[in-house]
Amino acid sequence: MKLRNAFLAPTAILMAVTMLAPLAIILVYSFLTRGAYGGVEAPSTIENYTRLWDPVYATIIIRSLWIAAAATALCLILGFPLALFIARSGARKNLYLGLVILPFWTSFLIRTYAWMFILRDTGIVNSVLQSLGVIREPLPLLYNSGAVILGLVYGFLPFMVLPLYATLERLDPSLLEAAADLGARPWDTLVRVILPLCAPGIRAGAILTFVPCLGTYLTSDLLGGSKTVLIGNLVQNQFTASRDWPFGAALSLALMAIAIGLLFSVRRRGEELL
Amino acid sequence: MKTRRGLALYALGAYAFLHVPLLILAVFSFNSSRFAVWQGFSLQWYRAVADDSNLIESSVNSLIIAITATAVATVLGTLAAYGLWKRASSWLSGSLYLSLVTPEIVTGVSLLALFQWIFRFLHLRLGMHTVILAHVGFSLAYVVVVVLARLRNFDRSLEEAALDLGATEFETFWRVTLPYLGPAIAAAAMLAFTVSIDDYVITSLVAGVDSQTLPMVIYAMARRGVNPALNAVSTLIVFGLGVLVLLSERLRRA
Amino acid sequence: MKPYFKVTRRTFLMGAAATAAACSRGPRLNIFNWSDYVAPDTISNFEREFGLRVRYGTYESIPEMLAKVMSGNSGWDVIFPSAEYIQPMRDMGLLAPMRHDWLPNLSALEDQFQRPPWDPNLDWCVPYMHGVTGIVYQTNLTWTPRAWSDLWDARLTGKLTMLDDPPEVFAACLKTLGDSLNSSDPAELRAAQQRAIAQKPLVRAYLNAEVRDQLVAGDVAVAQAWAVTSAQAIAAAPGKLAFAFPSDGFPRYADTVAILRESGRLEAAHNFIDYLLRPRVAAAIVQTTRTATCNGAARAMLPEDLRADPVLFPAAGILARGEWFAPQSAASQRLRDRLWTEIKT
Repeated sequence: MKLRNAFLAPTAILMAVTMLAPLAIILVYSFLTRGAYGGVEAPSTIENYTRLWDPVYATIIIRSLWIAAAATALCLILGFPLALFIARSGARKNLYLGLVILPFWTSFLIRTYAWMFILRDTGIVNSVLQSLGVIREPLPLLYNSGAVILGLVYGFLPFMVLPLYATLERLDPSLLEAAADLGARPWDTLVRVILPLCAPGIRAGAILTFVPCLGTYLTSDLLGGSKTVLIGNLVQNQFTASRDWPFGAALSLALMAIAIGLLFSVRRRGEELL
Repeated sequence: MKTRRGLALYALGAYAFLHVPLLILAVFSFNSSRFAVWQGFSLQWYRAVADDSNLIESSVNSLIIAITATAVATVLGTLAAYGLWKRASSWLSGSLYLSLVTPEIVTGVSLLALFQWIFRFLHLRLGMHTVILAHVGFSLAYVVVVVLARLRNFDRSLEEAALDLGATEFETFWRVTLPYLGPAIAAAAMLAFTVSIDDYVITSLVAGVDSQTLPMVIYAMARRGVNPALNAVSTLIVFGLGVLVLLSERLRRA
Repeated sequence: MKPYFKVTRRTFLMGAAATAAACSRGPRLNIFNWSDYVAPDTISNFEREFGLRVRYGTYESIPEMLAKVMSGNSGWDVIFPSAEYIQPMRDMGLLAPMRHDWLPNLSALEDQFQRPPWDPNLDWCVPYMHGVTGIVYQTNLTWTPRAWSDLWDARLTGKLTMLDDPPEVFAACLKTLGDSLNSSDPAELRAAQQRAIAQKPLVRAYLNAEVRDQLVAGDVAVAQAWAVTSAQAIAAAPGKLAFAFPSDGFPRYADTVAILRESGRLEAAHNFIDYLLRPRVAAAIVQTTRTATCNGAARAMLPEDLRADPVLFPAAGILARGEWFAPQSAASQRLRDRLWTEIKT
């Protein structure tokens, strides 16, 4: 066992330093008072937590939850048929899978910027629609919740497709044959045989998509135009423009609590963490 | 079969959705005008990129950080995955899991708070070292997940056989298990590298004067609006990473 | 498998060597400035003349700069804070005193900036550029915005941007209510906050200098903008954009250059500031940035079209409607920050 402990030690130290210590500090900060121009000062208070109940912030939390849910749902709806297609594509499976993963390997920032480029008033969509005479004034496609959801779906679709594909691939085709033999139409087979069997994959994909979407910062910053403030933006704001570190700390912990709460609520007993 | 054809058509649409935006970026990086109206082929934006010393310096920084952090995270993460596989440690698994689910912004601000607090006692400042430390921190969990997944498919009896034949624990690890893990380690390293080189949120919070990275420069450019030079940078990155992925696929199969 | 380890070890060593090499070249000067605030060759000429290597970083807003600099060990040497932050930063112990004996070109400054209200003896900063905040708009609009209150017009929905700067947004709102833009009265501030919240549905985005490209592209019809940004946008799209000095009052600002106390390169920093004060250098900068320089000698050297530009150097009567930004008390600052968070939410 000495070897095993030696192997674990460096990682354990790093986790303590980069994960646990910072979180402990954030916890302490959340009970302190803000300094005039930033930083923290001594008097301890729970004001930062009571402030969270203010309807203004509840709005942000609810908005973040709904945007994350919408993005996840869209990823599921759009990703499922794609995963089904790849699982059934036989010899070319790896190629099709690779084509889904390839955008994932490119920069998330760039993929978000691509939508900035496409959706702006003088961007491709508006230019084409205007030249076709469909609209006269450019549509305000950018800087709203819709653009943010689009950006999130675009960014996280591979995260949904991969787990779905993994479960679909292991699906026993004889089950589908049995259903067909019993007279089920393709739609019935889908809803009553395939989907229930895919539940673990759907859950995994939903978690992998929902949690990052909930804490998103870049997408709402670039595509939402600092009008669509989500939790991630609010936290960042407290540590820069608003200079209220204690409140930012309280918000961060609230965000983590929500994320972890959701994760534990969908965990099945006996499932390992990693 | 109707459904098969429908599915294939849908897949085509989905792939288009995934790839066309990047193609559009690439196409317009060669546009001589700044706007989304094609006005002729031009390499001026690529020339602007080559002339931008800020971009070059930040790219070098990004590479240094990514390579260093990947090296450290891959080695330590592999060892940790092996250790966890031998005997679970709930608190270590827990903190690694926590690292994966903590939103980037929270990781970033908490690391910033930690560093600022430490710097009150040690006379250091934010810089390459803080960024690399942060990157190793968040990459470790990814490496452990990938390697551990492969380890779960490993036949323990092989190790037991080696031990029975007189090998030490370390020899067993080095000569029996590690070769088996090769592909997983490579995949984990690639994942860690990608995550590191693409990171904006955490890096921007803990970077110092000397450690501006490529995502930070790209973000600054993106915030200032659409800029065809950014299209050029994007195309170069996508192309570069695509080549890297293809190469690694070749190496893996070779 | 073994090759992977070899590659990573070798590249690691290469990376380490490269870093070491980069560190050994010097001496350095780290300058943190607003974006687009110097001419293309200003820095390189300075580097060549003084044999230094400059690391030039930029920011888009004061909160961004303060966040980096406030820790007291950010690594920057020279910064460009706005005038109203000089006193608070001095009180926080962030600034290094200016040594006038190292700044022979100080006399080139205009008279009004030799003894500015925020630093009468120029102990802590040297004024750099000044300007106003106003309204920039597309000339093809069917009506002309003339006052801040015009920015609440529903016709502008989705085509209006405001500055992503709390003091500026509060200033505009306070002015529509007839109050001072430096007000610290909670009632006035809350009323101003309500105005800002009422305006939010019309606002496309909160943007600083970033709005320039969008103005030129025509994405934005009306913007609350600094004179700097406006002049640059107008020059980039001749005839399509115009600037208005709001009739209900407007802020006057000045950007200064200061040295951080943490800097270990005081002499080099002073050399840079003195270099910026040279009339020829300052004039060259204005040609690029199209801003109003505080340097009187440089202003005299400018070409006619810049010297007489009504946006940059308006008549005294117009400027009289302007009000300088003043530092806020800690309590007022706290309230403003809190109200701003609620506006942005």
